[in-house]
Amino acid sequence: MTNIATRQGGRPAGAKVSTHRGGQIASVIQWSAERGIFVVTGVLIVAAAVFVQGFASVVNITDVFHRAAPVGIIAVGMTFVVISGNYLDLSVVPQVATSAVILIAVSNSYGLLPAIVVATLVSLVYGLINGVAVGYFKANAVIVTLATTYIGLGVLRWVSGGNIFFGPRGGTIDTLGQLKFGPVPLSALVLVFMAVLLGFVLSRTGFGFALRAYGSNKDATRLAGVATSRVVLGAFLITSLSAMIAGFVLAAFSNTAVSTVSTGMDFGALAAIIIGGNSVFGGRGSILRTVLGVVFVSVLTNILVLTDIGYGWQQVAIGVLIVLAVSIDALARRVGK
Amino acid sequence: MTLRKIHLAVASSCLAALMILSGCSATNGGSGDSKHKVWALLPQGTDQPYGTTYLPPLEETAGKMGIDLTVTNSQYDSDTQASDCEVAVAARPELIILWPAVASTVRPCLVRAKEAGIPVTITNSDVLPEDKDLTSAYSGPNTYGQGAASATIMCGLAEGKPVKILVVNGLTGNVTAINRRQGFVDTIAKDCPNVTIAAEQPGDWSKGTSQTVTSEMLTSVGAKNVQGIFAADDTMVAGAIDALKAQGIDPKPLFITSIGNTKLGNPLVASGELDGTVFQSSVWDGSHAAELADQILSGKPYEKDVFMPSVIVDKNNVADADVAPEW
Amino acid sequence: MTSLQQHDIASGSLDRMWAIGARRPEGRGLILLVAVVLGALLFEPGVFTAYPATLGRIALIGLVALGLTAVILMGELDLSVASTLAVSGVVMAMIPNLALGIIAALIVGLIVGAINAFFVVVVGINSFIATLGMLFALRGLALVLSDEQPVRLADVDDGVAFGAPLIGPLTPRVLIFIVLLVGLHVFLTRMRAGREFYAVGGNRAAAKDAGIPVTRRIFTGFMISGGVAALAGAINTLERTAATPTAGSTVLLASIAAAIIGGISLNGGRGSIIGTVIGTLALGLLQIGLALAAVQQDIQQIFIGAVLFIAVVTDPASLRAVAANLRSSMGRGGGATAEPMPSSPQPVAHQ
Repeated sequence: MTNIATRQGGRPAGAKVSTHRGGQIASVIQWSAERGIFVVTGVLIVAAAVFVQGFASVVNITDVFHRAAPVGIIAVGMTFVVISGNYLDLSVVPQVATSAVILIAVSNSYGLLPAIVVATLVSLVYGLINGVAVGYFKANAVIVTLATTYIGLGVLRWVSGGNIFFGPRGGTIDTLGQLKFGPVPLSALVLVFMAVLLGFVLSRTGFGFALRAYGSNKDATRLAGVATSRVVLGAFLITSLSAMIAGFVLAAFSNTAVSTVSTGMDFGALAAIIIGGNSVFGGRGSILRTVLGVVFVSVLTNILVLTDIGYGWQQVAIGVLIVLAVSIDALARRVGK
Repeated sequence: MTLRKIHLAVASSCLAALMILSGCSATNGGSGDSKHKVWALLPQGTDQPYGTTYLPPLEETAGKMGIDLTVTNSQYDSDTQASDCEVAVAARPELIILWPAVASTVRPCLVRAKEAGIPVTITNSDVLPEDKDLTSAYSGPNTYGQGAASATIMCGLAEGKPVKILVVNGLTGNVTAINRRQGFVDTIAKDCPNVTIAAEQPGDWSKGTSQTVTSEMLTSVGAKNVQGIFAADDTMVAGAIDALKAQGIDPKPLFITSIGNTKLGNPLVASGELDGTVFQSSVWDGSHAAELADQILSGKPYEKDVFMPSVIVDKNNVADADVAPEW
Repeated sequence: MTSLQQHDIASGSLDRMWAIGARRPEGRGLILLVAVVLGALLFEPGVFTAYPATLGRIALIGLVALGLTAVILMGELDLSVASTLAVSGVVMAMIPNLALGIIAALIVGLIVGAINAFFVVVVGINSFIATLGMLFALRGLALVLSDEQPVRLADVDDGVAFGAPLIGPLTPRVLIFIVLLVGLHVFLTRMRAGREFYAVGGNRAAAKDAGIPVTRRIFTGFMISGGVAALAGAINTLERTAATPTAGSTVLLASIAAAIIGGISLNGGRGSIIGTVIGTLALGLLQIGLALAAVQQDIQQIFIGAVLFIAVVTDPASLRAVAANLRSSMGRGGGATAEPMPSSPQPVAHQ
């Protein structure tokens, strides 16, 4: 969907003539793109701790973690799809809801282990369908995952009847969902674990290297002999498994599951990935950036609620931030050739 | 040129089909069934917990009454519902049951149905007062009244003392959420102005979201400044109560009310954590929609407004069989 | 080479590019349409006898899809149309004077389009993300302006009248859709500026070298998309007699699906208004047919998702890619077999 000119960072308008002033601006923009999110997140947290009453309390830190965990787990998985240059996986929405419903409904009747097995199988099916369509059929990921979202939500509602499922109060799932180590809930630890694991995969394995190369330049990577279709398939499978775990986390936290539990998490995860500074063009990025993006968005939303800013303005803020983050990235690409 | 031929082919085949079928439809008019053909235009179905439990009693009762029912689900999009309405009117049923997605947008649909001579009954969410004369009857809960009933519980608990509460609203822009909130807010302003709202946030009908925002509101307002909580449904109030417990606050001394009397809420009333809720019976709602339709179709006498009683459920009647939770 | 000769070559290749681009993609959409028509004839002829309702549904999806086509042909995407629709509707309802309100709504749409284009060409952001950000921001704006509640028109009867049939059984919405359809088709096929959209989408660098004012075309494209979305918002608000800030979410996905089924390529350069209309017809007929046949809503959704899935993986370029994959994995040995290029002249593989 992108034109090759913009993909490689070139642009349709005329190039800027470099002057001393221009050079200074250029390096500021470069620096913003690379370090910006670190600094901004840090500043935001410090400012909030100082100015927003109650932000720095143990209870609130736990709340921020609870906000961050489900979307964060989806985001670290979906980063692989973004880095491959395939934009996003819309079907995380039904995947998260399906996995949550399976966890509670199946464990109510058959036990926890069968529930996890079924959820894993379903998740693999999603990953395979998406991955094959995008990786082997070279179909557009947005449309493919849109289609699987329609199908997935329809199937979920049809099978679950749209019902809301409850776990037994005080059961295993409920206990795990409310488990905390100091201010850190179990879900946040799961996020950290996955971030470390996936970060390792992305930066230190052959697969990760191939993925990043593919995202940067599809044709060159393919001509170099890399099995690019398999790489894309892998990206979608990782996303599906992450979505499954996110569904588990959500179900455990509320000890309930219903098909509407994951609404908006596709764009929420993407927003975090992009704001963290991963390039939507593909190729550039890291799990660390995703985690930062998640932290930033969670902290920001938390602050907006603490300061009683309405839902409408929250949406405006997220939209503006996405555009800002991508603008900086785009400008940095231009000046830093 | 190939493209032009394609265009011609498409156009002529559509035209031909149209002509053939307009001819056929003239004879196809009344199918001669003994069943009454009814269309139900709903804004939710199996995509929401309430709709999920509304549908079976609707369909079952319709079946018993000899009604051939077609159900649509516009997922709360008023444009889709308007299109559903057009389709329904074109299908020429004997009656239309309408559950408005957005009350202020249904007048055109009502006008078209009236012009086509199709009676319309309303279920669950009533139309605006100025549109009432275009409808035959209404059955359902009074979502505004539910908010008011919950407020009545709150006023009773507050006993004239100054009480600060948190409010957890339903999905932003959703009509049920808007009505319940309005009913609650208007009633406490009128009957017990000693109760004031310290903070409110949307909980999106979700337990998890409600827990998070309640916790954040407690932080923002200061937990010791909060004496009560109102949540627009039981699922969210369960989340709010979990938020209290996670902060080490005992929910029992606080004044907590909500709406629904669901499988989550009823046990909380029994345990004393929830002080009162309002019974919304989706079974009543669905079955009465079909019953009302049948009454009109068979020419039986019917009432113009059939309100589901907003039964208050508190510790006094929580164990009664007639307020057993349905969903 | 004189500049005149260069000019001739440029328009010659334009013609050729367009001829190649517009012919093949509609084929699959047409097959689907024929299948849907046949299915409807056999199982649910009410779709045709109830044609005003069917046309209304088609116009609902189709209006936004038409505007989107202009943008997608250039290789860009506009996700913000849903929120543009909502915001313009809200703005219109807030203004008591109906005519002023409509004008204000259209201006909002054009401004949004210009902002989107600004981000895409001047700042250089990928249009998917830029318009995604706008989708969020404008949705928030609509909620803020409307105070999160529906906003009623000053004069409700105007709205009810607007929804009534005007010429025969056709409502103003359907008429506007037809006018827009013809207008955009003529623009994209007969007017130089419109035909250049294909070149911009097909190979932007080459288009620039051919002397096409790419920046201006992109601005035009996004403003068309934004303007049409605003028009749709105004129409919806009139017909509903109120503006809802959450409007448009279902239309966005349905419009993109309609364009895809109609054979448009998201990489740009391939597709047509006719294709989008075919896709819209197929989708609209399918939806109405399933509704009339009283198919359960969940099953309807599965159906439509499946249709979209099949449409996108049976794209000729996709099938060729899979065939190449199979061939290369069966004849494995020494270097990867290069995948054949898709029909449109673009070096980047299908995304």
